[in-house]
Amino acid sequence: MKLLIVEDDREAASYLKRSLSEAGHAVDYAAAGRDGLMLAAAEPYDVIILDRMLPEIDGLAILRTIRASGVKTPVLLLTALGGIDDRVEGLEAGADDYLVKPFAFAELQARVNALARRPPTQDLRAELVVADLKLNLLKRTVTRGGRRIELQPREFQILEYLLRHAGRVVTRTMLLESVWDFHFDPKTNIVETHMSRLRGKVDRGHGRELIHTVRGAGYVLREPD
Amino acid sequence: MFGSTSLRVAALYTALFALSVVALGVITLFSMRQALSAQFDARIRSESAALVQEYRAEGLRGVIDAIHEHDSTPGALDFGLQGPGGRPLAGRLAAARTSTGWSRLRDGPREGESIRLYAVALPDGYRLMVGDEEERVEALDGAVVRGFGLAFAGVVILGVVGGYALNRDVHRRLAAISGTAEAIIDGDLARRVPVRGSDDDLDRLALTFNRMLDRIAGLMESLRQVSSDVAHDLRTPLTRLRQRLETGLADPQDRDSALEGALGDLDSILDTFAALLRIAQIESGARRAAFRPCDLASLAQTVAEAFAPSAEDNHQSLSLIAEGAVLVDGDVELLTQMLVNLVENALRHAGPAARITITVARLGRAPVLSVTDDGPGVPEAERDRVFDRFYRLEHSRSTPGSGLGLALVAAVAKLHGAEVALLAAEPGLEARVTFPEAAS
Repeated sequence: MKLLIVEDDREAASYLKRSLSEAGHAVDYAAAGRDGLMLAAAEPYDVIILDRMLPEIDGLAILRTIRASGVKTPVLLLTALGGIDDRVEGLEAGADDYLVKPFAFAELQARVNALARRPPTQDLRAELVVADLKLNLLKRTVTRGGRRIELQPREFQILEYLLRHAGRVVTRTMLLESVWDFHFDPKTNIVETHMSRLRGKVDRGHGRELIHTVRGAGYVLREPD
Repeated sequence: MFGSTSLRVAALYTALFALSVVALGVITLFSMRQALSAQFDARIRSESAALVQEYRAEGLRGVIDAIHEHDSTPGALDFGLQGPGGRPLAGRLAAARTSTGWSRLRDGPREGESIRLYAVALPDGYRLMVGDEEERVEALDGAVVRGFGLAFAGVVILGVVGGYALNRDVHRRLAAISGTAEAIIDGDLARRVPVRGSDDDLDRLALTFNRMLDRIAGLMESLRQVSSDVAHDLRTPLTRLRQRLETGLADPQDRDSALEGALGDLDSILDTFAALLRIAQIESGARRAAFRPCDLASLAQTVAEAFAPSAEDNHQSLSLIAEGAVLVDGDVELLTQMLVNLVENALRHAGPAARITITVARLGRAPVLSVTDDGPGVPEAERDRVFDRFYRLEHSRSTPGSGLGLALVAAVAKLHGAEVALLAAEPGLEARVTFPEAAS
């Protein structure tokens, strides 16, 4: 993927650039808002990673400018401000996702991947399928190898989220936000607990596991090799 | 000198009053002169009319006698009688050369005097003249000028003295205010402006100034509190982190486990930091602007569902008692976090096999949200202090947690105007948040 990082902290930016390059992406980097603005408008990127607080031009001003000029590239906003108002402001300015500093690299990578492969239009499929696992959104049913699996409503939501992001890493924070709408980090391992129950129902007793733990990052649901 | 506002105002008023005294003096002088001149002219006319009458009644002889009589009376007017061809016959003005009617005679009978003169023609070529010293009007001018000069001096003196006194008073009070500000700049934050109690504008200014200083002192105090909290409770985990990294550097075999431990330490430090910032943000009250009606029951439902599996894994139980929606005006995210903190607190401290209950109800008209457990509870003496930042009960120091969970609960409750209290649940503990009664 072709990525653009706009970040004034050179050390953080070079770490991000190196890590993302190692992960196989082509990464451009701009330290100043003005350069970032020019690159964003000129080059076709898959995802732009934009720091909210930049010297000279504010990150939000850049975001509004590139959106006003018709650039639809997904933007991941990096911010040190994690309050509701800050997030709402960022999303309203045209960001597609935000990440509060400090973050784990795995979280950033997962969100970049999620943004890049986000389906361009609303996902209207009635059934989500990976291998022999089927989730029917209309009937609210789940089957594995033809056998019915009974899930609690939250477990259903988690599985739906994993299926929609099949093949991609889903982090703890992404699940907390999308399933429970918790925008803070509980001390209790509620994600792990729910996930272990879900895996018990979906994977246990079936030869091949579909849900995998990605150490230090989160979970991924994918076809067995 | 004119750096003082009150002095400038006083000087301006003094100048204005002095100017009006001068203007009044000039107007008075002119109108008095006019009135006096008219009066003197009338006197000259009536004297000349009387002499014309004398001429008609007694003839030339009578007029000459009358002139001689006037000339010997002190303070009387001056007269003159000329025969045909301008021949002088009688009186001090007999030598004057003038035409009939009003005129001015420069060299009068006395040295250096000018005379205002009226001449009438008598029958048979005779001519009668009556005049008066012009200085008689001017002599009165002096009295007027002296009077107004005195008034002018009085106004100026009063203005200067009054202005000085007023300025000294205002200056002293303003100096007290700026002195207080200077003292505060120099670090004496407890200083306040003295208040006289006279309830005038300067007194009200002093009161407002003092209230502002109190507010700033309050903010400074909470800032100081936060920074000392940060220093207090971040130092310990930072020291631990440092030790771990040192161990990892010293012993390559332990490096992986040291790094992993360090990452864990760092996460808990970041958690503490985030919690402190969040509490500070909540306490600033900025989020009150985004308050909306929230249903405590559905919020509690979400939390109960999310935490029930974790409770079960600990062999604890978590249940919800709620009948129907209970609306409060608030911030859903903060209220959710408050309840999560209370539930996590119960999960962590109530011990194994504890039964934990979330209750959403109304007490009278006040919405109440409470979390009850049947664990060991909290000694009564410490129930209020657990809401302080970083306060932890002695026996819970070994368990994970930042000591900020309940401080955040207290901050959220306060933001919503709610009361939070720990009560004995016989056995166990009830954490109860009582919201203000609904307005409708």
